[in-house]
Amino acid sequence: MKNKSILKNIAYTAIILICAFFLSLAIHKFFNAPGLVPSIFVLAVFLVSLLTQGYFYGLMSAFISVLAVNFAFTFPYFEFNFTIEENAISALILIAVTTLSCALTAKIRHHEALQTEAEKEKMRGNLLRAISHDLRTPLTAIYGSASTIADNYSALSDTDKLTMLTGIKDDAQWLIRMVENLLSITKFDGENVKLIKSSTVLEELVDSALSKFHKRYENIKVDLDIPDEFVTVMADPLLIEQVLINLLENTVQHAKGFTKLSLKVFTLGNKAIFEVKDNGKGIDPEVLKTIFTSFSHSNHFDGKTHSMGIGLSVCATIIKAHGGSISAENLKDGGAVFRFTLDLEEGTYEQQI
Amino acid sequence: MNNRYKILIIEDEANILRFVAALLQAEDYFVITADTAEKGLLMFTSHRPDLVVLDLGLPDHDGTLLLQDIRKTSPVPVMVLSARSEEKDKVEALDMGANDYVTKPFGSREFVARVRSILRFNRHCAEEGKLGGKFTAGEMTIDYDARKFYIQDNEIKLTQTEFNIMALLSEHFGKVLTYSAISKEIWGYFDSGSTKKLQVNMANIRKKLSLKPGENKFIFNELGVGYRMHTDV
Repeated sequence: MKNKSILKNIAYTAIILICAFFLSLAIHKFFNAPGLVPSIFVLAVFLVSLLTQGYFYGLMSAFISVLAVNFAFTFPYFEFNFTIEENAISALILIAVTTLSCALTAKIRHHEALQTEAEKEKMRGNLLRAISHDLRTPLTAIYGSASTIADNYSALSDTDKLTMLTGIKDDAQWLIRMVENLLSITKFDGENVKLIKSSTVLEELVDSALSKFHKRYENIKVDLDIPDEFVTVMADPLLIEQVLINLLENTVQHAKGFTKLSLKVFTLGNKAIFEVKDNGKGIDPEVLKTIFTSFSHSNHFDGKTHSMGIGLSVCATIIKAHGGSISAENLKDGGAVFRFTLDLEEGTYEQQI
Repeated sequence: MNNRYKILIIEDEANILRFVAALLQAEDYFVITADTAEKGLLMFTSHRPDLVVLDLGLPDHDGTLLLQDIRKTSPVPVMVLSARSEEKDKVEALDMGANDYVTKPFGSREFVARVRSILRFNRHCAEEGKLGGKFTAGEMTIDYDARKFYIQDNEIKLTQTEFNIMALLSEHFGKVLTYSAISKEIWGYFDSGSTKKLQVNMANIRKKLSLKPGENKFIFNELGVGYRMHTDV
């Protein structure tokens, strides 16, 4: 990474200076307008300062330019001469221009960095707001129900108590999933993605995700279609499991009226493609635009189901960190499909027993 | 009443201790409790419980130290409770001799099922001894002497390695065995290729047993950690 940027800086500097040199040579030869030459080099030095990092390359090219102008384009030609006052002054001007433009560029870069930091801060703020909001509803219900039962234990009928307790249980389970999602996000703190990819057996990944899903939704059947062969993907298994559970759960919570839910995985080239498909009401086109980026897009109007809140944006974060892609679309004959890709493990494994 | 299983719970969070104790008492287990590692060890040596439920985050010592202390003198099943859900934490505790690793938060039904599963495994070992005679759990029967494997009286043809893996898992019924623990038992070593070799064998076993992903039958796969044989979790 560092070597790459150094090479890039050197390449920019060299290309710009060579261009300036030949342009000056041409002007000098065909137009005989030596007054233009220094301005061309000023422009070149300015460009170098703009395109490279730090002061070094700018000052370097200023120095080279001074020598080049002095050597090739000012009297006496093809000879160094700093005794003529004019030449010395033009050299000083070049260096001044370089220093100033480098300082300016650095300032602009600093400003940009601050701005992205501020944007990140804003996003973090939005996320926190969305989360706090989403946490408050189930917490209120849990606190309310629990204190009602504790304070009026003998006055309440068994059925009432059981109903409230079941509500507490459901809300607590929802909170647990929320926290699981939050924990997943903390693995991606800023740009340092702490992702440990390991070779993961597709069948085991799907098995684990479905087992957990069925524990929560006993009565929902998932039609499964995965390759018969032994397929392994490079991934953090627990995070991808979370993505699968979130997508399946998102369908249960939001695809109103669905009767079929399917999970299909197939391989294409060096990718594994995962598809979660349903035949429900589809996704509102307005919601679809920002489905993976907005934190809270579900309607709370029915008051029954909680939003997935951050669930889908967690999916997107995880898949992007894996270098895969994720998308959602509505199907022509109703319903929606969520699709994401992962890299297959390189090299086929010789079966040995 | 004397042959009720005795379970020692070592947990410092009063709320969690209370609900786990109540849950196990409701299942008719005899429950004793401790809220520090020191008290836990004392209770353990004086009461000799049939199962220890151990929280890893105790105020006085790290729970893993207590686990090591217990393992020095006793093969009693230990079920670890922990708020840490990373694979490496699980592998560490399991390789240190824990029989099961339950991540907080956990559901009551799942917890009870796993307690039952562990206690059953222990009985199996106590009664049947090591790898002799027959092992039966649900629809599954393993004939160790004839080296045959049955599902509902139908023999399933397994290769030598596949049979060895199933026998090993059954010997530790209800316990998660890590990839490295299984590889060391089956092949005598554990290196970078072992996990993959084991996973390929497990894939073949699942195919022969016609297990569908998500069914969670016979073999539970703990992603990134290992496998556990079970019937009812």
